[in-house]
Amino acid sequence: MKKGLILLLSLLLLVPAVFAQGSKEAEEDNAPVTIEFWTHEDVNRQQLEDRYIQEFETAHPNVTVNVTRQSAEKMIELVQTSFAAGKGPTMFNLSVNDEYPYIVAGRVAPMDYAAAGYKDAKDVISKYMDNTLAPVTYKGEVYGLPLELTNWSIYINKKVFRDAGLDPEKDYPKTWEDMVTISQKLVKRDGDVLTRRGYDFRYKYYLENCVPMVEQLGGQLISDDGKEAIIGKDAWVKWLTYMQQWGPNGLNLGSPTYTAARKLFNKDNNDIAMCSTGLYQEARIKADNPKFYESGEWMVVPYPTFKDAKKDVAACFYGHYYMVNADADKKTQKAAWQLISYMLSHGEEYLETTQVIQPTKTLMEGETFKNMPYSKVFKDDMARGHMVYYGAASTAIQAALDTAIKQVMLQNVSAEDAYTELKATCQELIDEQ
Amino acid sequence: MNKQRHYSIERKQAKWGFLFTVPCLVFFALFSFYPIINAFVTSFTNRQAIARTSRFIGFENYVYLFTKDNGGFSLGNSIRATLTFTLGTFIPMVVISLLLAALMMQLRRPSHRGFFEISFYMPAVLSSVVAASIWMILFDPRGLVNQFSNWLFMTSGKDFKWLTNDTMLQWSTMIVYFWKYIGYFVILFLTGLASIPSTIYEAAIVDGSSRWHTFWRITLPLLKPTVVLVSIMAMLQCLKTFSTQYMFVQNGAARQPIDVITMNIYFTGVRNGKLGRASAMSIVLFVIMLLLTYLQFATTKSDDVEY
Repeated sequence: MKKGLILLLSLLLLVPAVFAQGSKEAEEDNAPVTIEFWTHEDVNRQQLEDRYIQEFETAHPNVTVNVTRQSAEKMIELVQTSFAAGKGPTMFNLSVNDEYPYIVAGRVAPMDYAAAGYKDAKDVISKYMDNTLAPVTYKGEVYGLPLELTNWSIYINKKVFRDAGLDPEKDYPKTWEDMVTISQKLVKRDGDVLTRRGYDFRYKYYLENCVPMVEQLGGQLISDDGKEAIIGKDAWVKWLTYMQQWGPNGLNLGSPTYTAARKLFNKDNNDIAMCSTGLYQEARIKADNPKFYESGEWMVVPYPTFKDAKKDVAACFYGHYYMVNADADKKTQKAAWQLISYMLSHGEEYLETTQVIQPTKTLMEGETFKNMPYSKVFKDDMARGHMVYYGAASTAIQAALDTAIKQVMLQNVSAEDAYTELKATCQELIDEQ
Repeated sequence: MNKQRHYSIERKQAKWGFLFTVPCLVFFALFSFYPIINAFVTSFTNRQAIARTSRFIGFENYVYLFTKDNGGFSLGNSIRATLTFTLGTFIPMVVISLLLAALMMQLRRPSHRGFFEISFYMPAVLSSVVAASIWMILFDPRGLVNQFSNWLFMTSGKDFKWLTNDTMLQWSTMIVYFWKYIGYFVILFLTGLASIPSTIYEAAIVDGSSRWHTFWRITLPLLKPTVVLVSIMAMLQCLKTFSTQYMFVQNGAARQPIDVITMNIYFTGVRNGKLGRASAMSIVLFVIMLLLTYLQFATTKSDDVEY
């Protein structure tokens, strides 16, 4: 009896201590947290995200979110230099080929599944379309969630087609050879100077838009075992020859020094007929030039293939994934994953307002996506494509491809020579890893 | 016995002089000297931008830079691009800024001179990025420069390929830089010219010296220290050129013809994250600048000019 009483009293003594611990935890939970959130600019997306952040801050009064927005290209440099200086943002998003090295280097944290509302890695992966989380899955852990997954198809300005005596519905390019012949009909020149282009490539983004062309011809960027670069000489030389013909020293149909086709397209100024871009462009046309958007004078067609293609491959898709800095303390990491999860829980609104695709199964199979103009074209092209190459040297390989393109298009280097140099450079980059 | 120290006036002045230079020395040590040392140390490591650790690799980065291709952008090509740009820009810049300054000195009304000073100096105030962006529009095949070239050569619709031909591209970057900085050096020469006492010119006029003769026999020799200063400054500035080339490349121009060392450092270090290698490149640039400056000092030996 006496022993029991002592035990009871001892337990009673422990009660305040337990509650004190509880209140300490609660106190810690309510301690101020600051999230430095760096993302790329997009006017349509900004309005949404500012609202989500405000709502999140209201629900979590101890959390302050500081947002920094820069152009997607500038963001790559900013994030890298800040990490090099040991002071990266709490959470950020970049294109996956730029993000992957952060995972390998251990600079970003694996997901806090509970904070993001999932059971474990398997649970998250099951909620997203097949393979869309593969680039951010490393050693069984998921390191990022996609803000957007993008692939490019071909946008067409019907008016420009008709102006050149073409029927856009029938005459749109199905092959890359068609792209040349149709562009020749669409192009307008003042002497050598192009005043209207048919189509022009998205220079700088060769991994996304040009490597699939090589793959159609039977070539490969990197071998499956990751040891050899630039495989299939015939395919690469044929592609480089195609680009040479496209450039100012060939058929003069386009050039990297002209204003990007995608930027001109929305203006509907009769200076560009076709461009490569994603579903998000629809929202941008709507915002920039509602009259053109409503006119129905634009359409989207699938990514072409070569006539003698050995493989049917469409443009690669790439993702911008939200990631969290591994150097942030656990509490801040948790808050960051909560914020990411909260923002991404509005996938449908993102799609409706900004036409940004967050590749969850629910969204991709839902009515909202199906009802988007030309969403089927993008979905079908996505099924024909694959994730863009990502690896530690992807940025350098992108630069090497840029050199090869400019060598053949602008510097009168033969396709064979450009191929030889490209192969040697990429091989060196791969060997260095 | 208490010994009282006596300082000469010179020593006292020197003490105050030193005190006044301390903030500048601290600033230099923090923002120039420390980064130089840091870059030097980093150049012997394999440091990468996002890796947590790095190790000492001796001269590997230097050997790599002088023997390998650096992902298609070799240091050798960058040295060639930098020297071409420097020679093509700083020599005309020094000569023409001197001539312009001498011509402006001939203007009698200060308001006229002021107008030209402001006009020439204005581009120097613009940020390099803005300047390069403006010129990108001008060099566009449909831009003013191409139209002017067509008018000048009496052609129609010819694309002079200011941004696409290797040689023209190099000329384009030189023109932008020349336009931007000429005013700055004109001002420096004007300052030098203004410090030459007018009595010397008056004596020359009395002795019947022509303007041409006065310029070669009086102005130029007395201006020698300014010429040396301006030429070294112009050369160093040209060796460090970056934003013009960077903006051109960002807007689609080929990188190789204009891949100056600073741009290669940027792409290697910031874009590709190879900080050790980029540091080694910056040390090479530092040595080149040091050597060329020494050469210039040695060949132009400027004696102090006293009036």
